[in-house]
Amino acid sequence: MNNARANILSKLHASIGDVDYEKLPQESSYAYASRSRQQQLAHFISQLESNHTQVIKTAASDIPTHISQQLKQRDISRLLYGKETHFSSLIEQVKDNDQQGNNSVQSSIDLVAYDFTIDGNKERLFNEMPASVTTSHSAIAATGTIVLWPTPQEPRTLSLVPPVHFVIVDAKQLFARFEQLINTQQWHNKLPTNIVLVSGPSKTADIQQTLAYGAHGPKELIVLLINSDEI
Amino acid sequence: MNNTTPASQTQPLEDESKYAASARNFRQNVARDLANDELRSNFRGAMDYLIDKRQSAFSDQDELETLRRQCQLIKQRCLVKLPLLLEQLEQQLTSNGIKVHWAETITQANEIIASIIESKQGKTVVKGKSMVSEETALNDHLEQRDIECLESDMGEYIVQLAHEHPSHIIMPAIHQNKRQVADLFAKNIEGFEHTTDVDALIQQGRKVLREKFCHADVGVSGVNFAVAQTGTLCLVENEGNGRMCTTVPDLHIAITGIEKVVESLNDVPPLLSLLTRSATGQAISTYFNMISHPRQTGEKDGPKEVHLVLLDNGRSQMYSDPELRQTLQCIRCGACMNHCPVYTRIGGHAYGTVYPGPIGKMVSPHMLGLEATTNLPTASSLCGACGEVCPVKIPIPKILLRLREESVKPVGDIPLIMKGQGSGRKPIEASVWKAWAAVHQSPTLYALSMWAVTRARAILPQKLGPWTQARTAPKVAAQTLHERVKLRNSQKQESGNE
Repeated sequence: MNNARANILSKLHASIGDVDYEKLPQESSYAYASRSRQQQLAHFISQLESNHTQVIKTAASDIPTHISQQLKQRDISRLLYGKETHFSSLIEQVKDNDQQGNNSVQSSIDLVAYDFTIDGNKERLFNEMPASVTTSHSAIAATGTIVLWPTPQEPRTLSLVPPVHFVIVDAKQLFARFEQLINTQQWHNKLPTNIVLVSGPSKTADIQQTLAYGAHGPKELIVLLINSDEI
Repeated sequence: MNNTTPASQTQPLEDESKYAASARNFRQNVARDLANDELRSNFRGAMDYLIDKRQSAFSDQDELETLRRQCQLIKQRCLVKLPLLLEQLEQQLTSNGIKVHWAETITQANEIIASIIESKQGKTVVKGKSMVSEETALNDHLEQRDIECLESDMGEYIVQLAHEHPSHIIMPAIHQNKRQVADLFAKNIEGFEHTTDVDALIQQGRKVLREKFCHADVGVSGVNFAVAQTGTLCLVENEGNGRMCTTVPDLHIAITGIEKVVESLNDVPPLLSLLTRSATGQAISTYFNMISHPRQTGEKDGPKEVHLVLLDNGRSQMYSDPELRQTLQCIRCGACMNHCPVYTRIGGHAYGTVYPGPIGKMVSPHMLGLEATTNLPTASSLCGACGEVCPVKIPIPKILLRLREESVKPVGDIPLIMKGQGSGRKPIEASVWKAWAAVHQSPTLYALSMWAVTRARAILPQKLGPWTQARTAPKVAAQTLHERVKLRNSQKQESGNE
């Protein structure tokens, strides 16, 4: 349909001519001081906290209790989650757990599985889901970053649309820096539909440089950090 | 539009960006904005804030300089390989299921985007922050075709409500303060309860925009890095509107300049680190979004179709010259404008262009032609701050000098590098410099002219145009240096003879 492609490429080729790529200057990266695993973890937590994120160190088995408590504090009674993940059976205890700790009233947490497609369910997703929980793929110490790797079980909008986002992070999956993560796991071999690096709740400083949270995505990010004692 | 419209009028020429006309009014724009005290104080405050933030993000000079050098070399390598990388990017994206389109001009780009949207019967578009779509004035084009296009970045949303364009590439609404934003919301948002509390203002915006995300047919976004190796589009943002635009609607169209391609995934981390730290002083942005496919079988959300539009619009012209090519290293962090004494004083709208500040002065002449932008490269004190903070070490002051030179080059007898080359050439100025050169090449003429000037000192004009608006005119000495030295030597000789 258009000659734009041919025109652009031929102009670029003509301008650059023949280049010997072997003769390009050597690129060297900065040698960052190595930190112990404990130092990395401490840095990871402090970065997240300074970015308005609540970090709860916990044993995996206590995850349901923490989620129930946090939901109750916020008066939230519904939680969206993904089925068939590494932690889904634990998350499914959130309901039971709440029933145990709340004997006067009937179960107040409505656990909703993200087992529908977004088509035709957008209204429900945007208006009826006050909180969600997801697992995470890995984490980056230097920047206080959590790597989300959405799957059919945990779709992209699960961590985006609900205003409160709980995320389970395994301290054993902590990497010092982004470049190390990419290289260790050979990301270039195969990338999924989407990867998101998350380093706090949604925010903006677009009005008079005043920081405000909850611009479009989650207003709150709550990290449930497991295995923090084991590294 | 009338083809005979002379360039000096404020109507854009046919097929020309609307910004060419406003760039021609640079001097008037400057006078207007310098007289606006509120605007100046908004910019001063914002720039001080951003300079401070950047400073605190780079505590280790050694790290900063190593990273700058590394990123300069990464971008230069990617530029040397640009045509190959673009082909590789296209191939990878295509095999990932993302459709690639090429546009030489803004008109082509707008046409491509509108046709994709119309082919899906799209009526409503939400847009994540994209300076390239500002470059093409996409909103205007879609509006003409009866497609609603809503900006969703908070700053862009404010700017759109005000019928303005961004005054800063990172913080689009930096020229407005919270009182002004509150007034704007009061005028435009139904049921708005008046407040100047920033949190409350943002929540108002959130409410309106979430409703739009939920129902939009199409999401449009920019791209920060396009990775050729993997066919991945990377987006840097804090608000989550970029994720919304690229995830919730059925159709996602990304638009970017051809210079945003990087070779491999390994090139991304150092560039990302310098980008966010240089821009806002953040170690990393809240979200870094890497998109490699449309929704795949079995997945429950994400757009069913993803398109990428690659735009030239003057970039291949920058590419044609080795010195000017460095302009394409830019990663759009905005640090040059934050540190620019001119930008801080005149603000982002005075330039009349999409990209303001030092980076705008370098790219706009290629996008709009030197004829429309001939004043822009001269709006610099050449203090060098921009070049010193540039994360990819673009020699900005040098390039501005080069553009000044291009704009006054004689037309005709030399190869054309730039559109509008030589359009700033004035016959009187050219002959003055010709005469100056002749005088300085001949000792006799030089001595004669110096003698004449020193003797005429009393009758030289005291008013020298803008120069003497705030200064006294320079006073020529009574004698030339040659004469004084000669006199001194002869006096010495006399006293030695006594």
